[in-house]
Amino acid sequence: MIERDIEIINRLGLHARASARLVQALAPFASSVQLTHRGRQINAKSIMGLMMLAAGFGSVIRASVDGPDEETAMATLVDQFERRFDEAD
Amino acid sequence: MAVGILLLTHGGIGQALIAATRGVVGPLSLRVASLAYNNGDDVLALENSAGRALTDLDAGEGVLVLTDVYGATPSNVSARLVSHGVAIRRVSGLNLPMLLRVLNYADQPLDSLAQIAASGARTGVVIDAA
Repeated sequence: MIERDIEIINRLGLHARASARLVQALAPFASSVQLTHRGRQINAKSIMGLMMLAAGFGSVIRASVDGPDEETAMATLVDQFERRFDEAD
Repeated sequence: MAVGILLLTHGGIGQALIAATRGVVGPLSLRVASLAYNNGDDVLALENSAGRALTDLDAGEGVLVLTDVYGATPSNVSARLVSHGVAIRRVSGLNLPMLLRVLNYADQPLDSLAQIAASGARTGVVIDAA
């Protein structure tokens, strides 16, 4: 299992469209992907799970990825946040 | 092969939810149609339209019929659709979280999708701590 903290840098935070995008990006991976924010841990492959984090701009969330492709799954996860889900700001 | 989705709602709720869902997830992963019931509409005509919609949506795995208020006319009409020859499961309490979650599990069979819809809708109701 690998873990790291990720800061949310897009202005709208982990909103609905970003969550849907994240779910689609993570779906191909066999590893489990858990995100924790304010004591709530959710499955990052579940859109309703992601919405439940209600994680806005500037939040720092803890990512835990566990499984056979955990390195590439984590890289994909981090990439989505870093590129702001391809949003303008 | 996949399940079809029919939204049977008061007014334009179903159409608005489909538009909002497209805005979130882009192209929809399942075939989705909506029918509106407005006060005073002919209920038999609505049932017939819904029956035709079921036939259009069914690809052999059945149709999940989502209604807004249990016991209201759209939901009561959906109850009569069981005799239209297409396998259906009916879930009420339709909201945007329900629809988003259903479309996120597009590969699931009809029975599972009904459970997924119900839990999605419930999960979406949150009394915010703040």
